[in-house]
Order: sequence, then structure tokens, then C-alpha cells
Amino acid sequence: MTLALSAGILVTGAVYLMLQRGMLRVVLGFILLSHAVNLIIMAAGGTSRRGEPLGADPDPAVTADALPQAFVLTAIVIAFAITIFMLALAVAGRGDDDTDDLIPVHSQPDMDVDADAAASEATPSDDNPAETLDEFASEREGGQS
Amino acid sequence: MLATFLIATAAVAVAAPFLGQAMGRRAGWVLGPALFALGVALWVASSSNPAPESYTWIPSLGVAFSLRLDGLGLMFSLLVLLVGGAVLTYSARHLTVAPHGNFYGLMSLFAFAMLGLVLADDVVLLFLMWEITTFCSFFLIARSGPPAREPAIRTLLVTGAGGLALLAAAATMAVTVGSTQLTVILASDAWNDTAFAATVAVLLAFAAFAKSAQFPFQAWLPDAMAAATPVSAYLHAAAMVKAGIYLLMRFTSVLGELPLWNAMLISVGLLTAVMGAFAALRRYDLKSMLAYSTVSQLGFLVAAIGIGTPEALVAAAVHTVAHALFKSALFLLTGIIDHQTGTRDIRILGRLHTTMPATTVLFGLAALSMAGVPPLLGFMSKEGIFAAFLTAPGPAWVGFTVATLGVLAAVLTFGYASKMVLGIIGGPAMTKPVKEAAPIYLFPVALPALAGLLVGLWPAPVDRLVYDAGANASGTPVDGYLSLWHGVNTPLVMSLLVMAAGVGLALARTRVDRFVEPLASPISALRIVDKARVGIIRFGDRMGDITRTDSPNRHLAVPIVSLVIIAGVAVATLTDLPAIVGDPTRPFDWVLVGLLVIGVAGAIAARSRVAAIAIIGIVGFGVTLWFLTLGAADVALTQLLVEILTVVVMVLLLRRLPATFRKASKRRAVGAGMIAAVAGAATTLAVFAFTGRRELSPAGEYFLREVKTDTGGTNVVNTILVDFRALDTLGEITVLAMAGVAVLVLVQSRTLLSSKSARIFVSPDSPLRRERDNAVFLRTLSRLVGPLTVVLSLFFLLRGHNAPGGGFIAALIGGAGVALIYLAADSDESARSRLPALALIGSGVVLAVVTGLLGYVDQSFLRPLHFDLFTVHISTAVVFDVGVYLVVIGVVVASLNLLGTPTRRAMRDLDAPPDAEAPTRTASKEQVS
Repeated sequence: MTLALSAGILVTGAVYLMLQRGMLRVVLGFILLSHAVNLIIMAAGGTSRRGEPLGADPDPAVTADALPQAFVLTAIVIAFAITIFMLALAVAGRGDDDTDDLIPVHSQPDMDVDADAAASEATPSDDNPAETLDEFASEREGGQS
Repeated sequence: MLATFLIATAAVAVAAPFLGQAMGRRAGWVLGPALFALGVALWVASSSNPAPESYTWIPSLGVAFSLRLDGLGLMFSLLVLLVGGAVLTYSARHLTVAPHGNFYGLMSLFAFAMLGLVLADDVVLLFLMWEITTFCSFFLIARSGPPAREPAIRTLLVTGAGGLALLAAAATMAVTVGSTQLTVILASDAWNDTAFAATVAVLLAFAAFAKSAQFPFQAWLPDAMAAATPVSAYLHAAAMVKAGIYLLMRFTSVLGELPLWNAMLISVGLLTAVMGAFAALRRYDLKSMLAYSTVSQLGFLVAAIGIGTPEALVAAAVHTVAHALFKSALFLLTGIIDHQTGTRDIRILGRLHTTMPATTVLFGLAALSMAGVPPLLGFMSKEGIFAAFLTAPGPAWVGFTVATLGVLAAVLTFGYASKMVLGIIGGPAMTKPVKEAAPIYLFPVALPALAGLLVGLWPAPVDRLVYDAGANASGTPVDGYLSLWHGVNTPLVMSLLVMAAGVGLALARTRVDRFVEPLASPISALRIVDKARVGIIRFGDRMGDITRTDSPNRHLAVPIVSLVIIAGVAVATLTDLPAIVGDPTRPFDWVLVGLLVIGVAGAIAARSRVAAIAIIGIVGFGVTLWFLTLGAADVALTQLLVEILTVVVMVLLLRRLPATFRKASKRRAVGAGMIAAVAGAATTLAVFAFTGRRELSPAGEYFLREVKTDTGGTNVVNTILVDFRALDTLGEITVLAMAGVAVLVLVQSRTLLSSKSARIFVSPDSPLRRERDNAVFLRTLSRLVGPLTVVLSLFFLLRGHNAPGGGFIAALIGGAGVALIYLAADSDESARSRLPALALIGSGVVLAVVTGLLGYVDQSFLRPLHFDLFTVHISTAVVFDVGVYLVVIGVVVASLNLLGTPTRRAMRDLDAPPDAEAPTRTASKEQVS
């Protein structure tokens, strides 16, 4: 239960940070997320047996499962490497590590439709299918530029 | 032998583009007769009943390149080749728009695909050929220039949808019957299963209706009129739309008695027949009238096939031939009229019988055949279909209704046929001079037009053809002969009725025109197709908008929210869980939970980057303690060291980033907070539900029990890493190596954010400016600790197999030593580690692989070798661990060097001026400027 709670707390923090602007916070979120995942993998081995898997003949009744531990060990090191890569991404480029688009995406097509209409001074007509398509095509192109 | 014909047609198709390139439109003089000759040869050869052929194609799926020729296939093959030959010959004189290579290539490929379609004895082959015809028609329509672009796309969309239905039908049949061979499928008793039969019937009808322009897919065919005349002629008369008819006839033997099949075909066919004929009556453009006429005639055919009796299918076969003849002739003649007069509008055309007598006679013959006037073939076929309609399955009123609607469609047909003929001969003479077409131009058209008359008068040569086709289609032997005169019977009365009413329509045509002209359909099927298309693309665009962003948040939110939804489903459906094994909680655990709560809350609340990094460190140590209490000493050690190094690297980056985070908008904070809370709750529930409910796993138990015997080591975790599951570890260090290289490439190819200026002005005289003196404490310490970490690191490396330690931990300790030296340095340049990072990474991977290869000495890759050296037990697993060590330390050194100090390029630029102070300039610049 405590381990489950811990993983939940870490995921909460991780998700919150990953959804923030600023690459550094996203990276911090990833660090928390890898902590959470590692704890979950440990939980998969069970938490009632907590003996160190060391020695010539460990007692399976009290010794922890070594397999999840091995998985987690490698996972920690891989997460470290990935973290460094993401940190490098955070400081690459110009300005700061803000990750947001300059213009929110969802408002783009609308703006372009207005621009189109203003430019051609023609009201889109639904009578002609081809016209509708052309209008749509130009809207699309505008949206992508 | 069948394959020979198919290959010969393919050869024509391959040669066609080159001939068209070389000879221009005159290539038709070669290609047309070639197809025609192939058709004649096939007809001759068919008398010897060629055996089915099968060639290996996709043996793993049981799909073969199987061909067979029966009466039904023969009839359609002849239409494809003979009409194709006539059309291509005609093209040699008619074409104006280059490139001709492209036209001839596509047309012959079309002929090839149609031939393959009707000869195919395998549903996969049939589907393939079907799709080729779809694409050929698309390209043939599209090549007619920009105005044809939209019609071409609509054609492709509608017929492509039909193709998907055919694929579904083919898959259903293949799976149910267990074979893709058409003859096996048609002979199967699976058709007794009504559900299966109904499913396939609907799918096949969908496919055929889309291909043959039946309601509600009728719109594409008149739309596709934008294509050149020869293309339209071929599309309407012998290819494309006839593929749908062929499909329906082919499956009548198994579906003909299914009421659903009868109902669909008869109702849709008659509706289309009446609608199409009515639409044709409203037009004035000859080509447009012909296009709607095709829709209507195909409806007539579909309804006849829907009757399902052998006689009905013979009638359908006759009408297929009749339609191919008169429709190809009419289209090609319309092309000639258009070519000679410059218009296709019957309101402008007039008195052509005086200026173009031969053309007019041929046109009249074909139109009369279409109208169903004796003694032309069209009369015979229409009589046969009337007779079939009278035998429609079901109660008596059904037959009556079907026959009545058939008569209605026929009357309308007579009406528009006479309107066409009267349109070109009636009215005032045309103002511009009109010349008759050259005989060589008319000759290919005369063939089908005259054939309609000849066969009407002397039907014996085609008796076998149509009766065999009808027998094969219905699956019941049927015999007889075609004749114009069957005595006085109901069909004759119906025909007379049609002709009388038709003549009435023709006489009253001015009034009829005035009546039908305003009756436009309020619903345009084309607009529906376009609306659907625009809607789908727009919807896709909107969907795409969700991910069309550089912001990682949106991309990250998708999997998170999806996982939460899955968790919600799991909570709702999971009821019965095994009991929890043992006592999973210790009192001390709650301290750790508290620690994590504080750490996570701090990380969320932190406004400055330094604070956030420091607090993240606290969380890391909390997790480390967790590992320790869970009995994972190795893991705890690794986590601790990684935590230290991560914080060091992050601190190195801090100077390039603003001091504080941007303040999150309220909306984002609330949204993220809600998703985060739900995700956290889902995680807790999932972990609680899915873990701790079983004893030690068999794998875990095996490792504990066999560790000493199998590996000679006693640290189970380490033996798993370097021995039991060394392949995992090899993969992992490869990932590490790649990450190291990726960081290198990234840093060298992109400019990094420039260092932010310091906020505090430091006087050049201040003791704070003396970097060397200020670092004295750390430097002294590192002089002591440095060698110690090296020794410690080697110690942990060597003892890893038996006690906490191993390559990962040892390398991280070494990395911590490097970091300490780095931090103790008094300038960026002296901080740079002189260790060759890339070489370390590379040699580590190589060492691990070579050790793995040594394993082949004893059976397999990565199997450790054991031997005793001076009474000390040695395992090559330890050597493998050294490889791991090298990679990890290489990555640590690389990241410190690359992220902590300016890039080499920047350094070189700084070194360039012959200035003594150059090496320290970066450091001082950052503090002062």
C-alpha cells in the first residue's frame, strides 16, 4: 500500500510537471516518472519479502525478488542517459527552454479563413463543389504555412 | 493457353506507351488491330474448350494465379478485346491531345486488367485486376486536363470504396470456404449458410453497384464524361462498368435464389434504369445523354440479373452484348460529330443527314438498337428482359410491378433515343459548313453499329456465346436460340406498347422538353460525395491539429490520458483479485511516503530553477531509501550515484537558463493538476491491485537457488545483469552509448543557449574574482578524494559479482570522482576532463561484445567462461562488467564535458586571438558581462 501510494504521488508530480511549459520542468517530470516506474517494477516483485538477495544460498521465503531489482538497476542508468539527452535538448537552440508554440494551434485555421476571405473579397459559396474544395485547399495550405 | 492470351495483351500494354511515344496517335493503327486480332483468336481458340491453368503465386496464402475460360468469361473477354480494338483503331484518327503514349499505355493496360478480371479463377487475382481497372479509369479521366481532375477523384473515391467491399467479400469467402479459388468457392456448400450468403451478397452488390454506377453511386459515371471520347466509349461499353455486371453474373449461380439478392438487384436496378433514362431525357448534350443512358441501361441489366433465372441471365447476356455494340458506336459517333461540327448540343446540331449521311445512318442504327426497335439486336435483348421481368420471384404483383417499371424505363429510353436522332437530323441546317468524316475515321465505328443490325438479322453466330454465358452465370444448363419472332406473346405486346408510347414521346418532344426541364433533382449526389470528402479531410485536419505542434505537452498528454482511461475501464471491470500475500507494509515506509509528498509538492511549487533541481534531489534520495528498505542495495547505490550526477549536470546547465520558471496560466495549472491527480490515483490503484498478490516468481526463485552453482557469484542482482540476462545488459549499454553519441552530435550541430548574464557586478579587484584561490578547498579535497574514488571504483567493480557493486555502480563512483574534479576546477578549460569519452564508450561496447563472442567457446553468445587462476575463481562475466564500466564512465565524462563547458568549436574561437588571457576569458566574461 505504501509503495502504491509512493508511486501515485510520484506520478502526480511527474504528470503535472510534464504538462508545464519550460523544457527543464518537463525533464524534471520525466525524472519523477522514471522514479515512479522503477518503484512499480519493484512492487511487481512483492514488498513483503525484503531480504537482500546476497549470499550463497538465500532463503526464498524472506529474500526479495532479484529480477525486478536487476531491471530497475538498468532502468535507472538508461533513464540517466535519456535525462542527459533531454537536458541537452533543453539548452539547445535560442531564447530559453520554453516549449510552447508561438500561436496556439487551434486558432490557426480560423485566422486563415478570415485572411483568405479578406484577400479574395469573395464569400465562400456552397453551390459549387469545386469551389468549396478549392477554398478548403487554400485554407489548408494557409494553415500549414 | 489462357496465360498466353493474357501475356499477349500485357505485351500490347507494355509496347503501347513506347509506340505512342514514337508514332503519336497513329499507334492506334497497330494497337487496335492487335487487340482485335487477339479477340478473334480467342474466339477461335475457345472452341477447343481450353483447360483451366494455375501458376504458383503466393503459395504461403494458398493464392494462385489461376485462369479459366467459360462461356461467361468468353463473352466478356470478347467484348473487352473486340470493342477495345475498335476504340483504339478509332483513336488513331480521333486523338488530338498529347501525350499519346500515356493514353495508349493506359487503355491497353485497361484491356489487360479487364481480360485478367474475367479470366481470373482466384478471388485475390480478381480483386487485383478489379483495382487495376479502377486506377486505369482514374488516370484516363484525370489526363483530360484540369477540369477532369475533380471528376477523376470522385470516380476514384466511389469505385475505390466498391473495391474495398469486393476485398471484404473476397476475404469473407476465402476464410469461410478455405480457398481463394473461384471455382472451389462457387462449388462450396457454405452458401447454404444464409448469414454468410447474405453478407457476401451485400458486399458484392455494393462493389458492383459502385463499379457499374447503380443507385446510390450513379453519379460518378456522367461526371466522368470529362474524359476523352474513346475513354468514355470504352468505359461505358466494354470495360469498367461491365466489370460490375460481370461480378453480379458470376455470383448468380450461388446467390440467384437468395431473396435479399433478388430484392437488392431488382429494386436498385429498376430505380437506376428509370432515373437514368429520365435524366438522359432532360439533357441536350449528346455525350451527357449517352452517359445517363449507360446508367439507365446498366440498371436494366442489373434488374435482369436480379431475376436470377437461366432465361433472365441469357437475356442479360444478350443485352450486355447489344449494349456494348450500340453504346460504343454511339459514343464514337458522338466523338466524330463533335470533331466535325465542333458541338455536341442537339439544339445546335441539325440536318446532319444531308452533310454527314454515313455518320447519321450509323448513328441512327445504333440509336434504334438502343431504343429496342426490330430488327436490331437491342430489340431482341429487350424482349428477353421483358420476358424475364414477368417471371420475377415472389407474389404475382411483383412480376407485374417489375414489368411495368421495365416498360417505363424502356419508353423513356425510346424517348431519349429518338430525341438524339431527331436532334441531329431535325431543326435548321447548321450555319457553319460541315463535312462528312473520312471513311477511315468511320470504319472502326461502323463495325459495332453494323454488328447490331447483322446479329439482329442473323443471330446464330452469337447463340452459343450468350446461351453459354447465361448457363455459366445461372449455374443451370439452358439451351435455345435467339430469334426476332417468338409469336404473339406478352413481351411482344410490351414492346409494341413501348414503341407506341415512345413514338408519342418523340412526337410531343417539345412539350416533353418543357415538362422535364425544370424537374431537377433537389439532391446532387456529386455534392454529397464532395461534401463527404471535404468533411473527411477537414475532420482529419482537425484531428491532425491536435498533434501539429512543437510543444511536447500535447504529445505527452495523449498517452497519459489514454492510460487513465484504461485504468478507469480496469477499475470498472475488475472484481475478483487474489489476496495480498504476507505483510507488504513496514512502519518506516510511511516516513518515506511523507518524504516523497514533501519532495513532490516542493518540485511542483518551486518557482526558481535552482530550487526545483535541489528539491528533485530530495525526491531522488527518498526513492533511494525506498530501494534500500526493499532490500535492493545495488539499486539503492545506483540510484544515489545517478542522483548526484544528474544534479551536477543540471547545475551545469543552469547558467544557460532563466532563473525562474514562466508562471503557468491558471487554465494550464488547473488542467495539468486535474490530469495529474487522476493519473496519480490511477497509478496507486493499479499498483495496489496488481502487485503483492503472489509468492516469489518462479524466475526469481530460480535465480536465488541456482546463483552460486550457475555463476559462481553470490550477488544475485549482479549475476542477472552480467550472466543470466547479459544480453539485456548488452542492449542497455548500447542504448547508453547511443545516448552519449546523440548528446555529442546535438551539442556540436546546434548552438546552445548563451549563458545568462550575472546580476551582480563584481569588481575586478574583488577577491571573489580570484577563481583559483576560491576553489582551494575543493581542489585540496579532490586531490585527496580523487585517487580514493579511483580505488573505490575499482574495488566495487571487482567485488560486484559477490557483493553490492558491479560495473554500473563502479562507473558511477568513478563518474562522481570526475564530477568532483570538474567542480573543483578554476576554469572551464581546466575543468574539461582529458579522458577520451567516445573512445571509452566505443571500447566498452566492443569489449562487451568480444566477451560475448568468447561465449561461443562454451555453447553460446554471452555465456560466461569460468576458470581458476591461482586458486582465484575468475569468470568472463567480470570482463563483461568492465565493458559496462567503460561505457557508463564514458557517457558521464561526455555529458560533463559537452554540457558543462563551451563546445570545442566555441573554445577554438576563443583560443584564436593570440592573447595570454584567452583560456580564462570565458569564465570571467560570464561573471562580468
